[in-house]
Amino acid sequence: MTPRRVNTESWPVRLLLCVLALGFLFFFLGLPLLSVFVEAFKQGFGPYFEALCDADTRSAITLTLVIAVMVLPLNILFGLSAAWAIARFDFRGKSLLITLIDLPFAVSPVVAGLLFILIFGRQGFLGDWLGAHDIKIIFALPGMVLATMFVTVPYIARELIPLMQAQGRDEEEAAVSLGASGLQMFWRVTLPNIKWGLLYGVILANARAMGEFGAVSVVSGHIRGMTNTLPLHVEILYNEYNSVGAFAAASVLALLALVTLVAKTIVEWRMAREIAMLSADLSIENPAVAAKS
Amino acid sequence: MSIEVKNISKRFGNFVALDDVSLEIPTGELVALLGPSGCGKTTLLRIIAGMESASAGTVMFHGEEATNVPTRERQVGFVFQHYALFRHMSVFENVAFGLRVKPRGERPSEKQIRERVMHLLSLVQLEWLADRYPSQLSGGQRQRIALARALAVEPKVLLLDEPFGALDTQVRKELRRWLRHLHDEMHIASVFVTHDQEEALEVADRVVVMNKGHIEQIGSPDEVYSAPATPFVYRFLGNVNVFRSRVHGTWAEIDRAPEPGSKDEALAFVRPHDIDIQREASADALAARIVHIQAIGPQVRVEVEHQGEIFEVDLTRERHEQLALAEGETVWLRPRALRVFQGEQLVDAQTFDLGAGI
Amino acid sequence: MTNSRKHRVLPGFGLSLGFALVYLSLLVLLPLAGLVAHGVHMSFADFWATATTPRTLASYRVTFGCALLAALVNAFFGLIVAWVLVRYDFPGKRFIDALVDLPFALPTAVAGITLTTLYANTGWVGSLLVPLGIQIAFKPAGIVVALIFIGIPFVVRTVQPVIEDIEQEIEEAAATLGATRWQTFRRVLFPALAPALLTGFTLAFSRAIGEYGSVIFIAGNMPMVSEITPLMIISKLEQYDTQGAIVLALVMLVISFVLLLAINLLQWYAANRHTQRHSERKPA
Repeated sequence: MTPRRVNTESWPVRLLLCVLALGFLFFFLGLPLLSVFVEAFKQGFGPYFEALCDADTRSAITLTLVIAVMVLPLNILFGLSAAWAIARFDFRGKSLLITLIDLPFAVSPVVAGLLFILIFGRQGFLGDWLGAHDIKIIFALPGMVLATMFVTVPYIARELIPLMQAQGRDEEEAAVSLGASGLQMFWRVTLPNIKWGLLYGVILANARAMGEFGAVSVVSGHIRGMTNTLPLHVEILYNEYNSVGAFAAASVLALLALVTLVAKTIVEWRMAREIAMLSADLSIENPAVAAKS
Repeated sequence: MSIEVKNISKRFGNFVALDDVSLEIPTGELVALLGPSGCGKTTLLRIIAGMESASAGTVMFHGEEATNVPTRERQVGFVFQHYALFRHMSVFENVAFGLRVKPRGERPSEKQIRERVMHLLSLVQLEWLADRYPSQLSGGQRQRIALARALAVEPKVLLLDEPFGALDTQVRKELRRWLRHLHDEMHIASVFVTHDQEEALEVADRVVVMNKGHIEQIGSPDEVYSAPATPFVYRFLGNVNVFRSRVHGTWAEIDRAPEPGSKDEALAFVRPHDIDIQREASADALAARIVHIQAIGPQVRVEVEHQGEIFEVDLTRERHEQLALAEGETVWLRPRALRVFQGEQLVDAQTFDLGAGI
Repeated sequence: MTNSRKHRVLPGFGLSLGFALVYLSLLVLLPLAGLVAHGVHMSFADFWATATTPRTLASYRVTFGCALLAALVNAFFGLIVAWVLVRYDFPGKRFIDALVDLPFALPTAVAGITLTTLYANTGWVGSLLVPLGIQIAFKPAGIVVALIFIGIPFVVRTVQPVIEDIEQEIEEAAATLGATRWQTFRRVLFPALAPALLTGFTLAFSRAIGEYGSVIFIAGNMPMVSEITPLMIISKLEQYDTQGAIVLALVMLVISFVLLLAINLLQWYAANRHTQRHSERKPA
């Protein structure tokens, strides 16, 4: 019969809110996730694995991996460069640059694909020149890589910029004053400090790169076994009423999504732990530093 | 309205925050809950406010059981250490909040609200800040607004949790005086929590000294300072010299190691300003060598060494000039007032014996 | 100019900024400028005629209407989900918390075919709704369902940290002043959450406007009824009507940018209202 705590709702309200929240998540997240696997295994394991071993599906998986492998290193390099310049130096137009990095989030993926057709397509700016030299970008791998790069530009930079701004430049300045070269400073001081944030950005960028549909769809040309990524292949199979095939391919992507979520959760946990450890250390040794940061 | 706390206990898991605490606060009194951090003083205040529920015991407001009354019906004004102002509301709206959330029937008209808020703001001398937002105020101004906000609903009881803890010394001093003044005008029961002994002694009518979840002593500021009930109170309220002693009934031998195996071990407590220094030996004095002399404000602190231990003596400047002490010389210490404790228990000693131990 | 001449201690400023600018320009800015350049070359009359045919106007209505509705639903439920995840304890909370990010991780095409199967008349959810006379798949309602799915994490993830940061004392203060729980929420907590909620709403809304993959399967894509603008761009491209595609793309770009700008300004105003308004006044 103790009075209820000040900062909480009465139990009927709590129950109502829980039911609303969990019901909403169940209908919009839980059920779809469950149904991917149910649909994929509807006719048993045999047809499922048969569908997965289909040559076109296998080549779609390969192409998806190839694109991700080509896109990620460039985006990592961009993310590191942009974050280094923005978080470690003061220059004019910095906030404009931060806004521009987010620009691809505001552009529809379909429009993103269109942008590259306008440049490299047959009637595009460079269309004639590319045709004369027999270089194929649209409806080929380079176009798909470009489109994927476009939509994944912000992910890594967005994680690194606030992280590095929060960490400040003291440690790197100390390293340089102790005689470290730029590369030594980067490998020994900067990278260890940002590795979890970087990994977090890479995980998100990778999920988007492997799952991108709209932008890649516009520039792919949908040539089976050639320019078909796994998400595009899902569409083709689905439109051919090959439900098991479509959901088998979809289940691979859903599995990838689950792996992404697990990896993301682990990295978040590690980051939180590291931050807690670092701030605890600092506040014991030097309260002034901890308070300032 | 009076507050009565009866046999309150509070446990957090295995940790006992409050252990059978009872306390009575009549209307019109300003009471300080004083103690080191973790002694349970804030927990007690939160239980009185209804923000924490006690594991056992009852809270009475004016003779009526209030243990299960929810916070918002208790009519307590609560002032938080970090102000807890609503940052998206102007100063005016912060103070008006308690009036605006009253049930429709009791809610004052817009005109009455305006008058009441402006009256309170003039009471805390901050009418000119009515349109500002909390982020634009200094710490002292924020705490005064927080107080005005708490007083707006005409609380029967005012509770303040380390109200000046986050402010710098200068502001703190000013606000103390001002709190005392405000309390006298309101004629309600006020309780404030503090770990600053000076603050408690200066402002409160009564001081409740707490330690490890129980009350060590309740008394007027003079009582708790001059006649501490326990060794803890002695140590917590100001500096004190401690001499090993032994007691036999009403006869206390000061500065004597206890005899092995006997139960006569005791400690004698003397405040530094209750010791006089003299140049000649006497039966009620201890020999000591002067180690260090330093003037601190109106007083002169003399550190002396006696049998390998350092003791402090505070002299007035006049007395110090009179004696013309020098570091290194041997002098005699004569306690004017001392209290002897056996464990936690005050010994009713009549005769003190110091001389023979040299 | 004095600042830019300042001696820099750390190395790599020129290299890192240079690479970032070149990369961003080649990949994002120049292509966008190209699109705008195409648009400028058109006569205004042509542009206007293509941008305002009844079918395109209907597609704007569907796109922005459904996105708005989905973002509103997400704002409502997202707030509740964030509240429940921060304030209440229940078994499996960590799992559910991680699950909220599923729409970020699950490819949109997978979401599209799954939601379509679920909400079709024979699907798990659809078959429950058919007897009630409600049809979702292949109707505008289906678009809203897909866009709700896409937008869930945006609101939850922007509001969640703000709820975590609310000091307990603020609510206690309201309680000691006599406010009921509902009054505390409406007058104290909600105003504190509103800017984050608006941000989350904006993000979900702008994502929903451009969404393609998850929508096309469930929409039915009926011209004038359930055809979204991104799909019209694609069909124009497939008919080699590049000009038409450019016009629609420009319209979408402009509307999204204007919306983002407007809401950013609103947010800036909300964030600065309490600190800037009186700063010009001197204390008396």
